[in-house]
Amino acid sequence: MALSRSFVLGQHYPGTSVVHRSGALVKLVSTIALMIGVFVATKTVQYIPIAFFLVVGIGVSRIPLRFFARGLKPILFLIVLTVVVQIFFTPGTPVWQFWFVRVTREGLGLAGFILCRLVLLTLVSVLLTASTSPIELTDAISDLLKPLSHIGVPSAEIALVMSIAMRFVPTILEETERIIRAQVSRGARIGEGSLVVRMKSFIPILIPLFVSSFRRADDLAVAMEARGFRVGSPRTRYHARHFQSFDAFILLGTAAALSGVILWRLFL
Amino acid sequence: MSIDLKNVDYVYDSGEPFEYFALRGISLHIDDGAFVGIVGRTGSGKSTLVEHLNGLLFSTRGDVIVDDEIVRNERTVLAKVRRRVGIVFQYPEDQFFAETIFEEVAFGCRNYGFSKEQVDESVHKAMSTVGLDSERFLSLSPFQLSGGEQRRVAIASVIAMGQKYIILDEPTAGLDSGSKLAVLAELESLRQTANVTVILVSHNMDEVAEFCKQVVVLDGGTVAFQGSTDAFFRDAGLVDRTGLELPQSYRLARALKECGSTLTVNECSTDRMLDSLRLCVSDLGGA
Repeated sequence: MALSRSFVLGQHYPGTSVVHRSGALVKLVSTIALMIGVFVATKTVQYIPIAFFLVVGIGVSRIPLRFFARGLKPILFLIVLTVVVQIFFTPGTPVWQFWFVRVTREGLGLAGFILCRLVLLTLVSVLLTASTSPIELTDAISDLLKPLSHIGVPSAEIALVMSIAMRFVPTILEETERIIRAQVSRGARIGEGSLVVRMKSFIPILIPLFVSSFRRADDLAVAMEARGFRVGSPRTRYHARHFQSFDAFILLGTAAALSGVILWRLFL
Repeated sequence: MSIDLKNVDYVYDSGEPFEYFALRGISLHIDDGAFVGIVGRTGSGKSTLVEHLNGLLFSTRGDVIVDDEIVRNERTVLAKVRRRVGIVFQYPEDQFFAETIFEEVAFGCRNYGFSKEQVDESVHKAMSTVGLDSERFLSLSPFQLSGGEQRRVAIASVIAMGQKYIILDEPTAGLDSGSKLAVLAELESLRQTANVTVILVSHNMDEVAEFCKQVVVLDGGTVAFQGSTDAFFRDAGLVDRTGLELPQSYRLARALKECGSTLTVNECSTDRMLDSLRLCVSDLGGA
């Protein structure tokens, strides 16, 4: 229980907003385009079109800001480190000096630029994963890979493997907890003692986990074949999705934001 | 010495808007040497309750006391409590990891620092308690056994540690009827010979009626009944309200009574029911 609760999977925040209901492929393409835009920009002000589009998206999605803050937490250390390095180690005109520590105007500018870049990249991807279920996302990735199947990449199979893997992450976490409880009840001490002892204490957890995973995989294969699955045969989708008007809005907005950045960089 | 629970609550997400009482005001007393059943419909809190007894979960409020020791999340306390209370979880054969059955059964004993001789002795004793021949089985892999044999090895791997209290969560689930009765009879003999307290979580009311003298009935995270198994099954209204079924023997006795038959049966177990029925019928034949 504790393990699966503390482990936020794929960071999905279910909802019914326009952002949630629009197509996963559209959102994935938009996210990639926005990320390209973030890297195209060379000055902080050039982020404005992307930031504007992102703020509108976050507002419309009705996902609480707290959720985005939590998404930033894992990379907080990285952000602080890069910002500090930029502030103190960029040569240029000093604005503040104490002994050998020197803060330059260029350093502050660069730090702000990097800060915006990291925050924007994270927020864009959090918005995607928060508003799209993992299954929708894998479908979108498989759509994106589809053209590659003409040159022999098994895109449908890759997508299937990914979605099965995601489907079983919570199941296997639950199984792990079950096994830990059983071994602890048999006097196992997990994560105590020297490194070697600690590594050894994982054997009674890992082996049962492997055994049950193989058994599960076997059962799943039989169940899939019993329901007519064959590798390489064409598949239809249960949730067929059609292009909708707000998909067009997202694509247009993305195109506008991306071209805004490019034009700004080229001509201003 | 006994296990006592005093007003135990267990709350998921305590203080949050979605807080949920898995256990509410549970007070219990389990005597040493008893064979106690814990029953209740799915989701009534049986597994949550059981996990409190050896410190896998800790109460939100109230005390769980094992032999005068209040179960707390402290290493020394947990070591003591787990040394006394063993749990055989549902489908315990899923925990197998060792290359041989000997290693599997010895795992717990080694964790508790038994000497080599003690390990040997405990493993052999546990194997004979669950009715498996040490000579034949100990060097085999636990994965090559039949389902019933695997279940027995898993039970042996817990009872080998020689704990005072053994809790079994649905130990007969998925076994054929012969193995079911054999496993329970082995537990009963363990209780008698080694004075081990056996706590059986079960959905099978026939088993409970036959083996458990006392029963704890949970309903919606609270104790709906606690006392003699016979008294519980005689209260058909309570059995129904708690979402349980009467055992076959009690149903037959009720049916006989309802149609005004002079036949009386012994409800305590299916065997005794059949014996008493045979007796009655032969009396009738003689008359």
